[in-house]
Amino acid sequence: MIYPDNKNSKQHSQSNQHSQLKKANVKMALSMAAGALLGTGVMVNDAKAEVLKDWQFDSAFLFYSEGERVTAAEVIVSGNKTFANDEILNLKLTIDSLTGASANGAVVQAQAQTFTRPSGEGQYVTPAGETPLDDTFKDTRVQLNAQWTQPLAENYTGSIGGHFSKEFDYLSLGVNGNLAVDFYKKNSTISLGLSHFQDTFTPMGGIPKPYASMPIGDSNSASWDEDLAKTRIGSSDKKVTSDVLLGFTQVINRRMITQFNYSYSMVRGYLTDPFKIVSVLDQQGTAQDYIYENRPNERNKQSTFAQAKYHFDQNLLNSVLDISYRYMWDDWQIKSHTLDSTLYMPLSSRFGKQSYLQPHIRYYQQSAAKFYRPYTFAEQENKTTPDENYISADYRIGAMDAVTLGVKYGFSLNNGNDFSVRLEYYRQMPNNAGFDEPSELSSLTVYPVVQAVIFQLSYSFL
Amino acid sequence: MNETISKVINNTIKKTIKSSQRILSVKAQEQGYVITFDAMASPCEVLMQTNDLALAKLVGRAVSDEVWRIEDKFSRYNKNSVCYQINHSSGQNIAIDEECYLLLNFAEQCYQLSDGLFDISAGILNQVWHFDGSANIASAKQVASVLPLVGWENISYQPNSITLPQGMALDFGGIGKEYAVDRSILLAKQITKLPVLVNLGGDLAVTGPRLNGLPWQVAIESIEGTKLNNDNNKDDKDTIIALYQGALATSGDSKRFLVKDGRRYSHVLNALTGWPIEQAPKSITTLAPQCIQAGMLATLALLQGEGAEQFLTEQEVTYWSRR
Repeated sequence: MIYPDNKNSKQHSQSNQHSQLKKANVKMALSMAAGALLGTGVMVNDAKAEVLKDWQFDSAFLFYSEGERVTAAEVIVSGNKTFANDEILNLKLTIDSLTGASANGAVVQAQAQTFTRPSGEGQYVTPAGETPLDDTFKDTRVQLNAQWTQPLAENYTGSIGGHFSKEFDYLSLGVNGNLAVDFYKKNSTISLGLSHFQDTFTPMGGIPKPYASMPIGDSNSASWDEDLAKTRIGSSDKKVTSDVLLGFTQVINRRMITQFNYSYSMVRGYLTDPFKIVSVLDQQGTAQDYIYENRPNERNKQSTFAQAKYHFDQNLLNSVLDISYRYMWDDWQIKSHTLDSTLYMPLSSRFGKQSYLQPHIRYYQQSAAKFYRPYTFAEQENKTTPDENYISADYRIGAMDAVTLGVKYGFSLNNGNDFSVRLEYYRQMPNNAGFDEPSELSSLTVYPVVQAVIFQLSYSFL
Repeated sequence: MNETISKVINNTIKKTIKSSQRILSVKAQEQGYVITFDAMASPCEVLMQTNDLALAKLVGRAVSDEVWRIEDKFSRYNKNSVCYQINHSSGQNIAIDEECYLLLNFAEQCYQLSDGLFDISAGILNQVWHFDGSANIASAKQVASVLPLVGWENISYQPNSITLPQGMALDFGGIGKEYAVDRSILLAKQITKLPVLVNLGGDLAVTGPRLNGLPWQVAIESIEGTKLNNDNNKDDKDTIIALYQGALATSGDSKRFLVKDGRRYSHVLNALTGWPIEQAPKSITTLAPQCIQAGMLATLALLQGEGAEQFLTEQEVTYWSRR
């Protein structure tokens, strides 16, 4: 007579050992057993199914802070509806709000500096030794995107979309179209995308006249409006962007997929930043004047992008490595390299909840636009004719290195719902692309480091 | 919802349905035909994407004949079945054919893969366990009285015969339906290259994707009082799965359990202890190339109890669980 308790305890020790041994091969063993039973070959991976995403929503809240500079908060809600014949409608709403201060382009000085606000109403003072920041930076943007994707014929997928974005002083409208063709049993995909955007910029205080000196004075004085008007050339301006994207995706094997893109982007119109100025220095480095920047009214940008994703096996915890590299160059002579990598590491699962950890590292390097100057000199300015010459001291088109380090923790539930938290640190390090530094600036930080923290919460649900 | 959706019916096995009439009914659909019939105490259907009614009937007849053949041959209740003869052999050696041998072989491999937790001789435990939602759990004495009659290791079988010790019984219920699905798919593929789906009471497989590479849409019906494991309370609707290739099988049943002192006893029994598995999901649906693989993966997962989902994740199996 065997007592259940006896049998039970014996079984426990046995099964623990055995399940360790057999962990890896139950699925394979069943495939072989089924193949023998049914007289078919061994079928291991001949199955494909997914939860049909009726409406699937992705939502995210993002907080970005540069400390004493810009702070941004963003909410994204995106809905995907899949129809019976694999048509997909995507609607996405993005609302972001920016506040804080951004560099106005003027260089740091050993004494306090006074600037006129972009609106012309009032002034702000930057203390000695500090990078001049315009603290009137405040905006809320509402962005709407709609995209319709559908199979056109076997192996052909088409997609069209529209874009609307509105800020207090900015309106952007866009359309796009994309065609993807699969071949080699869908292991290869070629895609062609076209997009067109039309933007209208109506900055507070109007469009400043390039190279005009920033008027600095009493905005309550009788002649102020007239003085200010002399430095303005209009109230709004336009910009048109056309992009072509050529993509190629190749499945290498069950574990690896690669992607290659080439894009060409043409921008025409008002590309100058109306809020940015350039310091005009004397030989010693003391600011004599501030002039409004001027950029070319066209920019042709090209970029190439390569990405590989590799899914490791159990020996490396089923992690997924994603590495990508982008090289961008344009006729402003900005060249940039971006190296980006994430490693998706699944953690143990419990009750169908699969959690993961995903470190992220990104390195970015950029050379300066040919007309970028951190400042200019008085005698130099007298010689230039504004129509032919361009100038900007915007550090964002200067030479820089940037590093992002981050980590994401998420858990996905077995039906596809997904929650994640992302925390990242971003460090932007502008550097001197060979400009002479006058003596007065030598003890000051002309190229200040910008640091930011990014925090994101995401939730996807069906 | 799209007409091609095949409703996966929760197999509330109604013992009251006596050997139901063997009738095929054919209905035209938007993109083909659906042939329905009853077998193995479940509603069954064959979906076919064709305009050819004669062809649809031919496939429907071939599939239903095969399913009924397997039911007749391996049913515990049919006195002419191989299973009945084995179970009433009084310890004598009984002749079996190749198909029976192959099924026994498959059952043995499942027994070994599960370290004895899955055992087709365990059906006899249902004499002491009645999963009616009540608190009437079996007594240790009751379990001990039937447990000696469970044990695959006591059965000897060869390619053409089997000897089952007196008092023991086999039950092909845990693999028969899934086997019938796979056999039906093989038959349908012999007849036509057009897309066919065979659904036997929720265990189903397809010959391939629908025309133009589109998936079949299959609903995993929500069970009252359960939800798909998603922490999303509003969600008590069916989960729609797009099936391109392979088979789906569901194991578990929310209506067949016992609750005592706050512990939920699933109807899945541990063949080694004779006791129900605790902390198992209410149901598990798995994806595999063949239905019998899917069904066994779901069953083996339930036998892991609390670790059901982890087992399937480690095996890299696509699954949906309800708790």
